[in-house]
Amino acid sequence: MVFDFFFFERLWTITRRGYVVLVLFFLIVPIIAVVPLSFNAEPFFTYPMPGLSLQWYTELFSSDSWQRAIRVSFTVGLAVTVLATFLGTFAALGLTMVNFRLKALVIGLLVSPIMVPHLITGVGMFFLYAWAGVIYTIWGLILAHTVLALPFVILTVTATLANFNVNLIRAGANLGANPMRVFFRIILPLILPGVLAGAVLAFVASFDELIIAILISGADYKTIPRQMWSGVREEFSPVITAAATVLIGFSILVMGCAEALRRRITRLRGARQF
Amino acid sequence: MNDQEFVRFVEVQKTFDGETLVVKDLSFSMRKGEFLTLLGPSGSGKTTTLLMLAGFERPTGGDIHLDGQPLSRVPSHKRDLGMVFQDYALFPHMNVFENVAFPLGIRKLPKTEIGTKVASVLEIVKLAGFEDRRPNQLSGGQQQRVALARALVFGPRLVLMDEPLGALDKQLREQMQLEIKHIQEDLGITVVYVTHDQQEALTMSDRIAVFNEGRVYQLDTPDELYENPRNSFVAQFIGENNRLSGAVSGLTGELCEVELDGGGRVKALPVNVGEVGSRTQLSVRPERVAIDGDVREDANRLDARIEELIYQGDTTRVRLRLACGVDDFVVKLTNTRRQELHPVGAPVSVVFSAEDCRALDEP
Amino acid sequence: MNDAIAQGGPTGFETTYLKRQLKRVEREKKLVAFGLMLPALLYMVANFVVPVGVILFKSVDDRGVSTVLHRTSAAIADWAGGELPDESVYAALVADLKKSEPARTTHIAAKRLNSAKTGYQALLKQTARRVSKMDAIAPGAAKETLLGIDKRWADSAYWATIKRTANPVTPVYLLSAVDLTLNEGGDIVRSPEYMRVYNKVWVRTFWMSTIITLLCLAMGYPVAYEMAHARPRVANVMIVLVLVPFWTSLLVRTTAWVVLLQNEGVLNDFGLWAGWWAERVQLIHNRFGVYVAMSHILLPFMVLPLYAIMRRIPPDYMRAAKSLGANPLAAFLKVYVPLTRHGVGAGALFVFILAAGFYVTPELVGGSRDQMISYFIAFYADETLNWGAAAALSALLLLLTAAMFFLMNVLFGINKMKMQ
Repeated sequence: MVFDFFFFERLWTITRRGYVVLVLFFLIVPIIAVVPLSFNAEPFFTYPMPGLSLQWYTELFSSDSWQRAIRVSFTVGLAVTVLATFLGTFAALGLTMVNFRLKALVIGLLVSPIMVPHLITGVGMFFLYAWAGVIYTIWGLILAHTVLALPFVILTVTATLANFNVNLIRAGANLGANPMRVFFRIILPLILPGVLAGAVLAFVASFDELIIAILISGADYKTIPRQMWSGVREEFSPVITAAATVLIGFSILVMGCAEALRRRITRLRGARQF
Repeated sequence: MNDQEFVRFVEVQKTFDGETLVVKDLSFSMRKGEFLTLLGPSGSGKTTTLLMLAGFERPTGGDIHLDGQPLSRVPSHKRDLGMVFQDYALFPHMNVFENVAFPLGIRKLPKTEIGTKVASVLEIVKLAGFEDRRPNQLSGGQQQRVALARALVFGPRLVLMDEPLGALDKQLREQMQLEIKHIQEDLGITVVYVTHDQQEALTMSDRIAVFNEGRVYQLDTPDELYENPRNSFVAQFIGENNRLSGAVSGLTGELCEVELDGGGRVKALPVNVGEVGSRTQLSVRPERVAIDGDVREDANRLDARIEELIYQGDTTRVRLRLACGVDDFVVKLTNTRRQELHPVGAPVSVVFSAEDCRALDEP
Repeated sequence: MNDAIAQGGPTGFETTYLKRQLKRVEREKKLVAFGLMLPALLYMVANFVVPVGVILFKSVDDRGVSTVLHRTSAAIADWAGGELPDESVYAALVADLKKSEPARTTHIAAKRLNSAKTGYQALLKQTARRVSKMDAIAPGAAKETLLGIDKRWADSAYWATIKRTANPVTPVYLLSAVDLTLNEGGDIVRSPEYMRVYNKVWVRTFWMSTIITLLCLAMGYPVAYEMAHARPRVANVMIVLVLVPFWTSLLVRTTAWVVLLQNEGVLNDFGLWAGWWAERVQLIHNRFGVYVAMSHILLPFMVLPLYAIMRRIPPDYMRAAKSLGANPLAAFLKVYVPLTRHGVGAGALFVFILAAGFYVTPELVGGSRDQMISYFIAFYADETLNWGAAAALSALLLLLTAAMFFLMNVLFGINKMKMQ
């Protein structure tokens, strides 16, 4: 063995890769480790498990409060998705169409709910919605979550539109299609994957949101995260791990959809060749 | 309506920033059935002119008339102009048939008529059998043909083409030039074509408008542009050109006398010059110059020395240094068998007639 | 034929004319564009700008005394302090209390006055009750009456308190958010020792966010590097490993850490089994747990922007550097790292700002000494309903966030990096 440059280069590469594997392990293991515990026959949170059972899932899906939370989460999530997708897609179209002096400010305003700590937004909304009388109602929750979801739709659709070939719009008009037709027959079909990806993100933004739900949802409209929050803080039972497992599975499903849509956007982009 | 003025630009202006004009007071007209090319370097305003005609940019001044009708209040989708884009702009979510049928569907033609029209236009562009392909499954040349078919299928009043061959390789480009020209002649359609390639323009056009800095510098047939350029920009832009700078020293009837900057006098054709004493640039085509040729009475003769010989197959280009100091004077000699050429460094004289030496504006 | 031959020479158009012509042409397009943007803009203004504005307003809002005792507030404005105020001020207070008692608003002013001077609540409430039971007070007898009710109305300090709180805008909440307060003379002084909590928490928030940002950078940079330069198949697997945690909800991931880090949890058992420690160690409800859980949750925010930037760096740059004689380390440090600085900036900004606003994770896996500023905002907003304090802390946190954003922008030019 010669301790030359190439030996040390090789050694360094192995060390670097080993470190990266460890970090990836750190990222994924906590999420995976919870899953088997939810099938534990005993209410313990460690391995080895004395036996397997589905009792925590039965408890989860038969409990009134969890059932109500699931209903609330999906109702709010779907309403938010529809509202944010409409508002956001139109805004992205408008933003892409023109340049004006305050454009950066407008984009900053539309996107800033991502950067402002949710707790601050939530406290502000508490005051406003209490005054407007929608606090502790499902409407307040929908209004509030749409604020958090809108930036994701705007960012995704704007990114899709940035790759849009203006000549396609011109070609449509040139071949006799009026602006409405151009929108429905050319623009919409081509940006649809981007719009759907934005919609998925909007749903997730609402579905996973906790802090604003704590502040303004009240006792009657607890969402799944809100219900889980109470569970973790009050009586930490293995039902929580069952709920976590279901949510992890759901996230992976949603991620798969988003990823498929992203690839479709890339493919359409590739179609724009000379 | 007057077919001679089928398309008419009247003092059209365009600015994007409110400070500089991209198109300046543009006025010209073209007749029905004509193939007109807008030729110029990039940024000369030719594409902007085309986009205004198509309705994608609105003129900030003046108006465009099509078939006697002003276009300023007509939105692009009601102008009935077929356009072929540089990147083709084929709709990626539709196949070839759907792309070509798009303008017919928009116009609510019956299904059977759409079928026959699409089939016949695909026949013309030699793409029959490709109906089900997606644009990304086609080669560049095939995409080009689909774009052409789509622009022709609905019988537009005018077909606009924005550097449609720019993305193709040289051989395919030359083939498509002739094909497009033949289709245009066979169908008798009116075409406005934009390119920066002078060879392409000379090959295809009935007339060429040479654009520079937002103006048309000359609008003429290809041979007129080459033989009789009206200003030094056109002389330089179309074909090869030798330039000699000097000042007008005398005007005698048909000709003028020019004192060259480095010394020496030549007789020239005064095309675009002012009074005696004004500056001018002379333009001489390389193939109109002889080396040590017969001296006709009114011919110009300048002393020179050979600097470089460049063999190019059919011709040899001879680069010379003139006594007046110009060292990029080029003469093009047709090669013949057993031709004796002077060696590099040999002192010679270059000879050209006054009619072949055009006195133009100084740029 | 209308050949337009170039005549040369500049056009004599005034640019103002051109601009006007241009505007005319652009107007239609702009109207459509703004029409499309307007609903989203209005929505954001109503549901986001207004709430945040309300917070900023609440952080300086002090209308308790000035609205309930508005006559007194107006009358006392002319009082210079020192000696007792004159009869008109006493009369104004009597008139205010006669109105506030039936309207049941006395307690608002009383509470506010009490926070500035202890004992005021009882004094004002009692006085108001007595005054409201009396018949009309003769002109000029107000001072006498009040002094008869309570001797403290003869102490100018009580009047100074009213004068100090009569202003509808107060810096007190914002001051106390950084452990400062106003003394009775109205000067800015440090809060009493037992109330000095926030500065420590601000430093802690800043410190913990910095540590977490550095941890994420140390873990994220190599991962993004390998991801960007691995074979496509390997890179895809790595992306999935980063995206699964990214898409899993924050609460679920925090819960997972609570499960794993418990004293009777998986990690503790594993450590015992592997012989890392001889008896159970405390892994949760301390700083260690917070760092582990938060850097796990925020790591994808560092990896993804870095990956986006690194993927776009053509390998030719590194090849060029090496062909020019740079060793791999020099090529990496002098060429590669500078090319990724926008990504580092974007990642660090995301992680830092998100970390500084974190509430859920420290609350669940941290101890009482690991809570950041958000904990106190939530505490005041959700439990004690002290809106002034919650709003002031929120306003300062917002300021910190904005300052961080501009700092990062100056250092790294985030604007040059498109958000992914």
